[in-house]
Amino acid sequence: MECRVLSIQSHVVRGYVGNKSATFPLQVLGFEVDSINSVQFSNHTGYAHWKGQVLTAEELNVLYEGIKLNKVNHYDYILTGYSRDTSFLEMVVDIIKELKKANPSLVYVCDPVMGDHGAMYVPENLLPVYRDKVVPLADILTPNQFEAELLTGRKINTQQDAVEFNLLSLVVLYHHPVVTVVKPDGTNSSQKICMDIPKVDAVFVGTGDLFAAMLLAWTHHHPKDLKTACEKTVSVMHHVVKRTITYATEMAGPGKRPSPAQLELRMVQSKADIENPAIVVEAKVL
Amino acid sequence: MECRVLSIQSHVVRGYVGNKSASFPLQVLGFEVDSINSVQFSNHTGYSHWKGQVLTADELHVLYEGIKLNNVHQYDYVLTGYTRDTSFLEMVVDIVQELKRANPNLVYVCDPVLGDHGSMYVPQNLYPVYKNKVVPVADIITPNQFEAELLTGKNISTEKDAVEVMDLLHAMGPDTVVITSSDLPSRLGDRFLVSLGSQRHVRPDGSRTTQRVRIEVPKVDAVFVGTGDLFAAMLLAWTHHYPNDLKMACEKTFSVMHHVIQRTISYAHELAGPGRRPSPPQLELRMVQSKADIEDPAIVTEATVIS
Repeated sequence: MECRVLSIQSHVVRGYVGNKSATFPLQVLGFEVDSINSVQFSNHTGYAHWKGQVLTAEELNVLYEGIKLNKVNHYDYILTGYSRDTSFLEMVVDIIKELKKANPSLVYVCDPVMGDHGAMYVPENLLPVYRDKVVPLADILTPNQFEAELLTGRKINTQQDAVEFNLLSLVVLYHHPVVTVVKPDGTNSSQKICMDIPKVDAVFVGTGDLFAAMLLAWTHHHPKDLKTACEKTVSVMHHVVKRTITYATEMAGPGKRPSPAQLELRMVQSKADIENPAIVVEAKVL
Repeated sequence: MECRVLSIQSHVVRGYVGNKSASFPLQVLGFEVDSINSVQFSNHTGYSHWKGQVLTADELHVLYEGIKLNNVHQYDYVLTGYTRDTSFLEMVVDIVQELKRANPNLVYVCDPVLGDHGSMYVPQNLYPVYKNKVVPVADIITPNQFEAELLTGKNISTEKDAVEVMDLLHAMGPDTVVITSSDLPSRLGDRFLVSLGSQRHVRPDGSRTTQRVRIEVPKVDAVFVGTGDLFAAMLLAWTHHYPNDLKMACEKTFSVMHHVIQRTISYAHELAGPGRRPSPPQLELRMVQSKADIEDPAIVTEATVIS
């Protein structure tokens, strides 16, 4: 398999978010991963302390220029996630447009990270950039319910609401504990599936990044079988999360809530599940 | 296996050098890899063009501070490679010393990248820092012949010279030394180069013993970048699994290198076409495609125990 992904996400020295969360699983599945680190932090921002440096939009452009000057700006996929800076996001948009011109078959997998549980946790001025510039370029989108509502300006109260999307892309919508997937199939109708996901009593960081990366991988391997692609993606998540919560609880000790450090995804230990996930969740075709 | 490595090396967007070369194979072998990227470049500097940003010594310190403030600065290994900046290297030394205080069993694997084929390709002022500060805190070093000669001030013309140089390097600090390549003649002919390794142990009764090995390595007609970084990472892994058997650790390490290089050269030639020299992008290591060889390398190079 000769498939090259450009992933523009955060780097943390320790732990698994952003590029740290996406790269290893994609490489294990045989993808070539080129990674631009949008920041370098010691660890994710859920710890008591975090320190590091951010990449400016200009520095991002410089890195891209290097790739372009060597004429190796050919990618099959682009993957983006958490961003805090509108000018950075706008530079990402410019880069994607150029890469799509170089390869019209390029697939842009976008996690439009803006917030959750009714509140934004990125600057408000990112919303118009996502809505008007980023999402129109995306081929695969993985909003949660809050982000989907923000992007469409509509509330999602029922599954029917979730399904009525005007976005011309594969939309995988996380509405705990349900994942709804909508894929336009060239006509006016779309393939729709839905999955129930077991809740876990812990706050994980980096799972959204892993999800988007694995969705990229499994839709690549099952381009005409959305049901299987989603079952594999959600199943991988389940195995990694279960392994993580077991380990974290063990590390914390009885009766104690695990710390952010203890809750880091057991990524390296989950290699076999990543390579060949046993299906543990069935998707229903709607 | 619960083993955490702190790797402080370059990051390239595309290709396999520095942390890009070291992380994936170590992770595939089950190591937790924390990585500090000393630079972020578009690609390695052997391409026609390269662009990017470097981390200052101060920024390195800030990242380390973050790890320390969270009380997660416990590492089993530290791994470093190519550096161009003396203040950065000195900050690395300070960090290694502090990490060794936090975990006295920490093993520092250091590739003392200074140059090759008779000349330095880093600024000259790095040499005293490596010699006086870095190598003394290293536990495993992977110099090539030029670097080994430079660090000890002694030339290598015979295997006996090499053994003496490795003993001199042991005296400077590291208990494990692998001279990754040399000009010494191979018993298998001129299509092979000679590598040597030496590992010093202290027996339970307090006496010292040294295991020395020689490895004949097939030469390849191409210039690879990132192979030294892969080598140091794999030597870390295989000495971890075989801490008292340098022969086995070297056989596995050199064998992995062989598989990755063979796969890379085949692919590069295929891409370049008949009669053409492959380009730097075409010669990028076939790392991801070599996962199975990394996990369980078939032994294709034998190490000979020498006195």
